[in-house]
Order: sequence, then C-alpha cells, then structure tokens
Amino acid sequence: MKKVQFGPSWTPYLLLAPQLIIVALFFLWPAGEALRSSFYLEDPFFGNATFVGFDNYVDSTSAADYGRSAQFTAVFTVSICVISLGIALALAVSADAVLRGKSPYKTALMWVYAIAPPVAGLIGVMMFDQHIGPLSDFARWLGWEMQVGVSYFDTAVAMITVAAWKQIPVNFIFFLSGLQGIPNSLREAAAIDCRSPARRFWTVVFPLLAPTSFFLLVINITYAFFETFGVIDVMLKGEPGNNPVTLVYKVFLDGFRGQDLGGSSAQSVILMIAVFALTIVQFRLIERRVHYS
Amino acid sequence: MTALADPLAPAPAAPAAARPVNRARRRAQILHHIVLIFGVLLMCGPMVVTFMSSTWDPVVIHSEGLQLGYGGKFLETYETVLLKGGGFTGEITGTLMLWNSVLLGLGFAIGKIVISMLAAYAIVYFRFPFASLAFWVIFATLLLPLEVRILPSYEVVQRLGMLNSWSGLILPLIASATATFFFRQFFRSIPDELLEAARIDGAGPFRFFVDILAPLSKTMMAAIFIIMFVVGWNQYLWPALMTTDESMFTIVRGIRQILQVWIGANIPDYNQALALAILAMAPPALVVLVFQRMFIKGLVETEK
Amino acid sequence: MLRSTLLAAALAPAFVLGAGAANAQTEIAWWHAMGGRLGEVVNEIATRFNASQSDYKITPIFKGNYEETLTATIAAFRAGEQPNIVQVFDAGSATIIGAQGAVLPAEDLLKNNGVAFDANDYIEGVRYFYADSAGKMVGMPFNSSTPVMYYNTEALEKAGVQPPKTWEEFEEIAPKLKDAGYVPLAQSHTPWIFVENFFSRHNLQFATNNNGYDGAEGTKLLLSQTPELKRHFEKLKAWKDEGLYAYYGAGWSDNQAPFENGDVAMWLGSSGSFGGLSQSMKAPFQATYLPYWGDVEGAGGTTFIGGAALFALAGHPAEENQASAAFFEYLTSPEIQFYWHEETGYVPITTAAYELAKSEGYYDEAPSAETGILQLSLPGGEWTKGYRMGFYVQIRDVMNREFGKVFAGETTVDEALKTIDEEGDRLLERFAKTSG
Repeated sequence: MKKVQFGPSWTPYLLLAPQLIIVALFFLWPAGEALRSSFYLEDPFFGNATFVGFDNYVDSTSAADYGRSAQFTAVFTVSICVISLGIALALAVSADAVLRGKSPYKTALMWVYAIAPPVAGLIGVMMFDQHIGPLSDFARWLGWEMQVGVSYFDTAVAMITVAAWKQIPVNFIFFLSGLQGIPNSLREAAAIDCRSPARRFWTVVFPLLAPTSFFLLVINITYAFFETFGVIDVMLKGEPGNNPVTLVYKVFLDGFRGQDLGGSSAQSVILMIAVFALTIVQFRLIERRVHYS
Repeated sequence: MTALADPLAPAPAAPAAARPVNRARRRAQILHHIVLIFGVLLMCGPMVVTFMSSTWDPVVIHSEGLQLGYGGKFLETYETVLLKGGGFTGEITGTLMLWNSVLLGLGFAIGKIVISMLAAYAIVYFRFPFASLAFWVIFATLLLPLEVRILPSYEVVQRLGMLNSWSGLILPLIASATATFFFRQFFRSIPDELLEAARIDGAGPFRFFVDILAPLSKTMMAAIFIIMFVVGWNQYLWPALMTTDESMFTIVRGIRQILQVWIGANIPDYNQALALAILAMAPPALVVLVFQRMFIKGLVETEK
Repeated sequence: MLRSTLLAAALAPAFVLGAGAANAQTEIAWWHAMGGRLGEVVNEIATRFNASQSDYKITPIFKGNYEETLTATIAAFRAGEQPNIVQVFDAGSATIIGAQGAVLPAEDLLKNNGVAFDANDYIEGVRYFYADSAGKMVGMPFNSSTPVMYYNTEALEKAGVQPPKTWEEFEEIAPKLKDAGYVPLAQSHTPWIFVENFFSRHNLQFATNNNGYDGAEGTKLLLSQTPELKRHFEKLKAWKDEGLYAYYGAGWSDNQAPFENGDVAMWLGSSGSFGGLSQSMKAPFQATYLPYWGDVEGAGGTTFIGGAALFALAGHPAEENQASAAFFEYLTSPEIQFYWHEETGYVPITTAAYELAKSEGYYDEAPSAETGILQLSLPGGEWTKGYRMGFYVQIRDVMNREFGKVFAGETTVDEALKTIDEEGDRLLERFAKTSG
C-alpha cells in the first residue's frame, strides 16, 4: 500500500460508490441467486422451488462426464498457457531483437488481437473440418487420421490449437511491452557481462520478465476458463456429442441449454470456489513479485 | 528457441567486435526473421484465407472448404452484407449492426474506464475503513463471468426495468473487476513523491486526480480502452438474451444468425458470414493499430 | 458527478422499445429460432398475415438457436415479459408443456376464439406429438420433418442394387455398394433417427408411463430393455467395423457432407434436407422411407416428427390471445402451409395443405418432397404418438456421447445403453421434482 494517502473523509466512498453499486446489483445479487438456487430444484417457468440440500452438487459431480470435463479443463488450461505463452514469447523476443522491419512485424502480429472468439471458432471449424479442412488434410499427410468431432482426442487438439492461437497476439503485446520496458543501460551492461545470448536471456532478461509472465499467467488462465466459451461453442456445432467440453461450458450446457437451473448453479458454485482458491494463490505470487521487482 | 533469444543485442552502434561475433549476430538476425515470418503466417494466414473465401460462392465454400484464391464476388457479397436490409423490419443492415457494435464497445469501454479509475483511486490513495473489504468485493467479480450467471442477471435487469436499453445491456458487463485491477496496479507504481508534492501545494483529492493522476494515466487509459473496446465489441450471448429490438442487433450476433440455419434445408450463406467476420474485425483492428504505440507504452507502465 | 455525466454521455442513445401505435391494432410478438433463409420465410409469413387484415400486427423476432430461444422465453416469462407466441423445439416440449399454466393449449386458444378445430385435419404423424396425454393439442406444429433415407442413384446403379426397404435388405446390398467403391451408409442424428424413430418405426415402447405422456414422475427409459434396439446398435457397430456404415460424429453436416460429395451411397437425414442437397449435390439422388427390421412384428409404421412447434404463452390480455388465434388460423391455412412446405422443405401439417401441394403438381417437380409426408401418413400404432420427457436435451447429449463411444470402440453397446438409461433416468427424476 501507499505510504502517503489522503486521510479519512467521505470522498473515497463517493468514488467507490458507482463501482460498488454496479457490483452489488449485477454481480452480488445474481451470484447470490445462483448460490440459493444451487440448493433447490426449480420449475423453470414459475420458479416454484423444492429444497433438495446438496443433491444438485452430488448429482452433477457424479455424472459420468463431470470428471472427464474437469480433467479436460485442466489439460486445456495448461496447454493454452504453455503453447500460447511459448509462441508469443518467442515472437516477442524476435520482434524486439530484429533490426529491420520491426514495425511491420509488430503490426502484422498485433492486429489479429481483435478477433472475436466465435469468429476464431468459425475459422477453426473450417480449418479442421474432418472432410475438407486443410489442417485435417495436413494431419492425414503426416499419417494421422485426424477426425475432429468423432475422436475425443482429435477434437481436444483442435480446440486447444484454436484457443491458443487466438490468445497469441495478447501475450505477444504484453511480452513485447515487457521487453521494451527493460532499460537500455541494463541491456548494455548485460551484453558486456554475458557473451552467450542464450545465457543472457535466461539469466538477465527472463527474470526481468517474471512480473509480466505471472500477470499473463493470470490472464491466460482466466481466458482458458471463461473466454474460450465462444470458440468451444462454435467448434461443437451445437452438439457436444462425445467431444470434450470445459467445466464453464458445461455450466452453460446444463443451465442455459438444458434448463437444469439447480444443477448448473451447483456447478457454478463449485467453479467459483475453485477459481477463488486459484486466484488467491496467483494473487499472492504476483503481489510478491511486484514488490520484489 | 534458446538460440534465438537475443533481446539484449545492443543497438547497431555497438562497439566494433570481432568478425565471428558479427557473423553470429547476422545469423541470429536471420533466425529472428524466420521466427517472425512464421509468426506472421500463423496469425495472418487464416485471416487471408477467410477474406479470400468470403469472395466465393457459398456452395463452393460448403463443398470445397476454405479458398486460397480470389473468388471474384467481393463487391456483391460485401455490398449485400453492408447494405441489404434484413430482419422483419427490413432495416437491419451490416452498417447498422456495425454501428451498434461500436456503441456497445464504446459504452462499455468508457463506462468501465471511468468507474474503475475512480474506484482504484479510492482504494490506492485513501486511508479509510473497509478499503480492503471494498477491494475484495470488487475483485470477487473475476470469479464468475456473465455467461454462468446469465439467467439471474437477466432477472435483475428486468426488475430494474432495463430490458432493451443500452444501459441494461452495458452495465451488467461492466460489473467485472479487470480494469479496476489494472488501474490499481498502475496507481501503486506511481511514486509517492507526487502526492507529497501535490499536498504541499495544497491540492485536494479532486485537484490531484484531475491535474496529476489523470494526465499521467493517459497511455494506461488508452491501453485499457483498447482491451475493453474489444471485449465489448465481441459480446454475443448477453446481447442475444437481452435485446428483442432488432434495431439493437450487433454484428457478432449477425454472424451467428447467418450460420444458424436449420441444417440440411439450405446451405448457409457462408460467404456472407465470412464477410461479416472480416467486417467485424476491421474496427477493433483499426483501434488497435491506431493506438498501437500508446497500447504498448501503457502496458509497459502497468507492469512496473 | 463526473462519473454520471460521462456515463450519461456514453449511454445517451438509449433506445426504448415500442413506438406509439396510432391505431387500435393489437400487436403481438413471436419469438423464433429460424436463422438464414428460414428466417426470411418466417418474416414473409408475418408480413403476409399483417397485410391480410388490419386488426392485428405480429412481429417475429429471431432469438438465437432453439435452446437460446427457449431459455430467453423462460427468463422473460419469469419476468412477465414473455412474447405471445414462441417456437419451442421437440426436445424442449416436455419443459414447456409440463409447466402447468404457462401455455394456452393451441386447441383451447382456437376454440375459445371462435376458430373451428378438428384434430383430424392434421396428418397422422404430427397430430399428437405436441398434445397432452388426453390428446389435446397444446403446441401448434410448425416446422416438422421426419427422418428419411436419401440415396445416390448413380451409386446404386453402379452396384446394381435397389434401395433397401428393410435392414435385412440393406445387409444384402451393402457389400455390393462397398465393392463399387462407396461407403454404403451414413446418418446425421443418432438419437433422433436411430433411437426415437427406431422406437416409432418398430412400434416399440420408448419409456414407461406411456412414453412419458402420463406424467413426469417415475418415467424411465427402456433402451437397455429393448433387445431390438440392442441388436440394431450391435449391427451398426459391426457394419462400421466392416466398412458398411460410417460414423462422422454428432455434427449434422459432418455426416451429410460425404453423401453430397459422393463418398456415401445412402444417407439418413431429414425429409426437409432435399432443398440443401439439390444445391450442393453433384450426383442425382432420390428419397425413400426409413428402413426397418422386417423381422420385428408390427414394424414399418409411421415415424415421429422432429422440428418445433409454436406455443401461445399465458399472461396476455384477451384481445392479444385473439390475435394469436387468428395467426394460428392463418398459419394452418392450406396456402400458407404449402408456401412454407415449398420454401423450406418442412412437411405441411394438414391434409388439406398436402392435397393442395399435390394438385399444384409440386411433387411432379420435386418428388423427394413427398417422401416425408407419405411416411408420416403411414398407419400408426400404440407407441407412435410421440414421447414426452423432460431435460431431454441432456438425455440426447448423453445418447450422442455414449454412441460416440460405442463407435470409437471405447465401450460396448450393452454398457452404453445401460449408461443412457441410468443417466437418463436420473435426469428424468430430477425433472419430475422440478415440476412437482
């Protein structure tokens, strides 16, 4: 916290009021509703509810595909972080290091940032189409009979690819700005101390990028959990079938698509607790890093 | 990747070095270019294919997939998509949908920046009871995105009588802490001396905010504006649930409407969907490009 | 202060619904899920209705896909903002019909507003599908189709075979088609074609409680207890392994595409699919009835419809209900039904409309268009009325998932059917509690 602050007065409350009012109305109230309805089975039209205790929790978590979804969510999240952050870091390092053509490269890599998730999904569906998709053809050429939509594994690969692809520009932009934030004096000093570029990267630059990386980790996990919704939705073509879905998408499937309000509320409460735990851990790490630097 | 990692290569005006070093450096440069060209292909290739495909006949796209070459129907398709009235009122054109998306993106981004800047200001610069409670309450909104609390949110909006209004559309989307989190990080990185100096000059909270903090935050605001504009622009599910008024339809919804054909009876107008996809990308891409410099600078500042 | 002015500036162009109507026209809203070309036809029907009289004005609104439309309706109903008419799809019908008092049954709506109604005007296959257990029509069938078989005539000629009527015949000809270089069979919707309509076509019981019509409580699926169904899926798996049947996943178009490009010789799809096929298929094709097992007693009867119906929602003033009734009357008129049939490929729901299409010579130019309605006019039996099960969207998802596993070799038919029954029963039990 700041050492210097304004003293107590009514001003901070006034400043906070708009955000707190919006949060209370449009977040706390609906989230409270979700918590309440997770203990009820509810008639969707009239809201006549029967209290069922923890039945909704038991029923939804014991369904055969819940464990599978949880597992997929973990794999999906980790893969997106690794692939997307890895490629973006490589690109940012190169974009920072090239002497010529810096700005056209930057522009070409940045503008795709704006692509809407459903649009990314649409392109993905066509690229990975099991009959005419060029990427499926490519996989077949490599000897892999890829059938997105039929094989659980193949669909998972396609989803991860598309979701990670869409996130590359965001990570690229943040990494690049992180690299550009490294003062020139430091670069020159490092160049003298450390001959090998690779060693220079891992011993000097990478630690300096750590706050950025931690921050991006949070952003990417949030993205993989919540913002891939549009990608998955389009890639499933309306039928989940024997295909992987994330836990967030399952909440949507059961609640929004299937009108099982109680079951889907229970799942979102579980999710909320999980994300909360995850966030606290991450937050601590980030805070520490920020102070450290 | 390790071999390529040379971000610390000094500027061209480096002290004269031995020949092998020069050669190694040149080799590294070539590798960097290869990586970047690969990256550009990876990111832009699909977009080029999307654009090219949008100039073909829908039947060709349906049966042969994405196209690399130019299909010759650019003008027709884009004219239809932009100008032909659709919907029951016959007034829904691509142009109107684009405009609505602009409104949604702008309203969301501006609203969010204003609200979260004020909140972050209060949290960072004021000492008051419940400060950390307020922070955690706001922060909790990151836990549950709108998609998974969408039905109760609808009920709340209805009870407030805000269905089919831009405020009902935008305010629930604003109830998420991302921007507050960004501004909080940024404000905390601003040196304490500034506030001390301002207080010696007799500046109150209002003066300090307007004269010092807001100007300092310009690039940060630009960065967040871009991020938030894109988030608002890309909304689909919430606007679809919230609005029944055709004049409020957005472009992302328009794409879904074209593809949403009862399968089998007709071939969806893939060309139009892809053309809309390209059009839907244009304005946010433009925003990103125009504010590119500020975007990166803004982000550099947050991370310190 | 600052915040409110800025916010107000950002939100200034707030539109509010409902421009003041000058005359005494009664306005009603119709939410639907028809995108693309279908949406245009829906708009055209509404425009024609509005032009045909001056008392009522209907406004159709596209609300996303079927699930999104139903969910938006439920949210709106709870908020008292529901439309007058909403389109609800087959799998969602138990949810809306089960909500006592949410819907004005179509039959009551018409009768109470002085419109003659006779269930016998409707063709056999659609008459009871959206009716209650007493046979009263609750939802007005709107876009209806039924599964039929399309075949590539060139492929069949090349193999020197006739289209099969039964699965036994299929077993005979399939190897020949394979030898001629084709994948003999594919289909686009496993739960609809190979489960629901399997029960109907073979006149077998699908679920207890009279296929669920007699109430949600205690309804149980009978998949694992139906040896005919088990045999069917075991055969399918065997055919798949021998290359006589191909499974391309749960996506509709993924299964249709190989038929269009000539890899697959016979494809089970919707009676309305011919419109899309004639746009995209290079080889000539024809349609015929859905095959059945000849050795099952009483097999070969009518099938279920799929698609959606229109429901009039409660909670509106009498004059608006009158407008809804007038619209239903207009919608079921032979001319509009024929127009709908011709433009979209969905079957006409009344005999009069079918007769009109025949007399206009429509089937001479599009013979495939008649297959669906002929199949729906086949004699029905005890178990061909339909089925009524809640949370049916999820039950179908379970079926798709389990059959996907069967064809991927991850599970056996036995296990899959048991899992479907178990998970389905649990869902049905949960649903019974919501409506209880």
